[in-house]
Amino acid sequence: MIRLTWLQFRAQALTAAAALAAFAVLLAATGPHLASMYSSYGLSSCHGTSANCANLASYFTGTLGTGPYGVLYLISVGSILLAPAVIGLFWGAPLIARELETGTSALAWNQSVTRNRWLAVKLAVTGLGAMAVTEGLSLMQTWWAAPISQAVTDGAHAGVAPGRFTQLAFDTHGITPAGYAAFAFALGVTAGALIRRTVPAMALTLAIFTALQVALPLWVRPHLAPPVHVVVAVPSPEISPGSSGPAGGNKLTLTALQAPGQPGAWVLSSGPVNATGQAVTSTPAACTGLANKGTPSAFVDCLASQGIREAITYQPASRYWRFQWAETAIYLALALVLAFYCFRRLNRRLS
Amino acid sequence: MTAVIEASGLGKQYRRTWALRDCTLAVPEGRVVGLVGPNGAGKTTMLRLATGQLTPTCGTISVLGATPAVTPAQLARVGVVAQDTPVYARMRVADHLRLGAWLNPGWDDELARRRIGQLGLDPGQRAGSLSGGQRAQLALTLAIAKRPELLILDEPVASLDPLARREFLRGLMEAVAEHGTSVVLSSHLVADLERVCDYLIVLVASRVRIAGEVSALLASHHRLSGPRRDPGTLPAGQEVIEESHTDKQSTLLVRTGDPVHDPAWAVNPVSLEELVIAYMNPANDIPARRPRLGVVS
Repeated sequence: MIRLTWLQFRAQALTAAAALAAFAVLLAATGPHLASMYSSYGLSSCHGTSANCANLASYFTGTLGTGPYGVLYLISVGSILLAPAVIGLFWGAPLIARELETGTSALAWNQSVTRNRWLAVKLAVTGLGAMAVTEGLSLMQTWWAAPISQAVTDGAHAGVAPGRFTQLAFDTHGITPAGYAAFAFALGVTAGALIRRTVPAMALTLAIFTALQVALPLWVRPHLAPPVHVVVAVPSPEISPGSSGPAGGNKLTLTALQAPGQPGAWVLSSGPVNATGQAVTSTPAACTGLANKGTPSAFVDCLASQGIREAITYQPASRYWRFQWAETAIYLALALVLAFYCFRRLNRRLS
Repeated sequence: MTAVIEASGLGKQYRRTWALRDCTLAVPEGRVVGLVGPNGAGKTTMLRLATGQLTPTCGTISVLGATPAVTPAQLARVGVVAQDTPVYARMRVADHLRLGAWLNPGWDDELARRRIGQLGLDPGQRAGSLSGGQRAQLALTLAIAKRPELLILDEPVASLDPLARREFLRGLMEAVAEHGTSVVLSSHLVADLERVCDYLIVLVASRVRIAGEVSALLASHHRLSGPRRDPGTLPAGQEVIEESHTDKQSTLLVRTGDPVHDPAWAVNPVSLEELVIAYMNPANDIPARRPRLGVVS
């Protein structure tokens, strides 16, 4: 059965291998130069929390962002994001649907191999292939982008650069890509078994997978672990103030780009609170004169003198792997549920 | 009679409609059995249930004494050529033989290669570029070379031209003669069944209208024509299957185990096709025939 699976899967596997190879060549050709740029900025000898290093790192990422490496970074990250969807569409959806459409299911399922075994081998071989390809892309990109990631982490000390928790970084690094791939593949197979036609199954797969990829980071990921709440004094370099002025009802905002002393943390929400810990929405009368005038620090000093502090809700950077495992586990569990459903459907309904 | 397929009260429901309902039949061992009936009679559903491609909604079916398709051993005992004889269009002929060898422990590679050679198929050719007849032959080769005890074929020749049909059935007969395989073959083309089958089951609306050896069926059915007469006045042993009357004449198709001696009748044999059509006609399907005389011109 493994040999038959390979015979039928060969063309797709070779296509994937070619794509992986092209990706590898592209990254291998540019990676060393990127690393040398990183060194030439003097960054390789200055990890740490010094403000100078942080500024240098920010400058480095800022320069890259406008150049070809910035584009390449986005392309490589985009490839990793797209890979699971493409796999779900082109490997998952046809797996059962194509057999039903062409009637070859009647050929496949009348050999001396039970349907359970047929599906188990197909799912295992193709599913592991899907995970390997996506994770392979991710690992290559992680190697290539190591200077950028390091600069981003260093820059985070300056309180301006986002850490590994940003959606683009979180979704494409670590182990989540493998989880996404497994799920998208299982989703495609299930859609195919349900709809019994390849093209509509592809459309359904894409719709559901995209919806989940948008919804999960927004509504589920922040709650994978209870977040940390802190109230910190202002002014702080990580917190930037804003006031809408009299016309806007003197609406006050204090945006924390980072939790102070927590580089790389994922800030879920932040806002000003008064001395009793209640949320403050408008600028105190004593400070309205300073809002949008003078220096921001004078404004913030005034806020501090009024007893206003900043409440921040965040996930510490140290939870990165915990979140990676949790999210991957969710996707793998969903994939297993879908696979289980496919087995049931194959035995009960399909012909 | 040992049965290779035994169904009892078998039914298959799709949402609201029943594709097969309360079907009870037995397919004898060691025969080439033709399953014939009008479209929608449930032939394909019956055979799909027998191959385990479908699971019954109600009733039971056993194939070679076991539940269809649940174990590899059971799958190995039954060879199937599905409707429209599917093959993998993008795989080569040789790949199909490899597939068969990989997935069937009882695979007879020598037989498969010999058949492909006799058919003149190029092993390197993609199955998608084969003609309909060649495709059907390839599907048959796969089913035969796993050396099954029972071969189930669902309308295998329906889409083939007469020559390809003849070739296919000849291949089937050779294989059956060589290995003594039991065969069930569905078709709505009686002429094809007549060529290969020695046992016939007429299925109409999920019900077996008649089943028996072809020679016995032909010997026990006669067409009687003579002066107009109420079929109710026939002797007890003569069962009227079909009747038509004009003002002066009656023509009856009767089943009887005994010779018809009444000199008023001109007795003629019936062809298998006439017989099958008479049984397939729903107008003739009257549970308890009462004496009646209608004028059919």
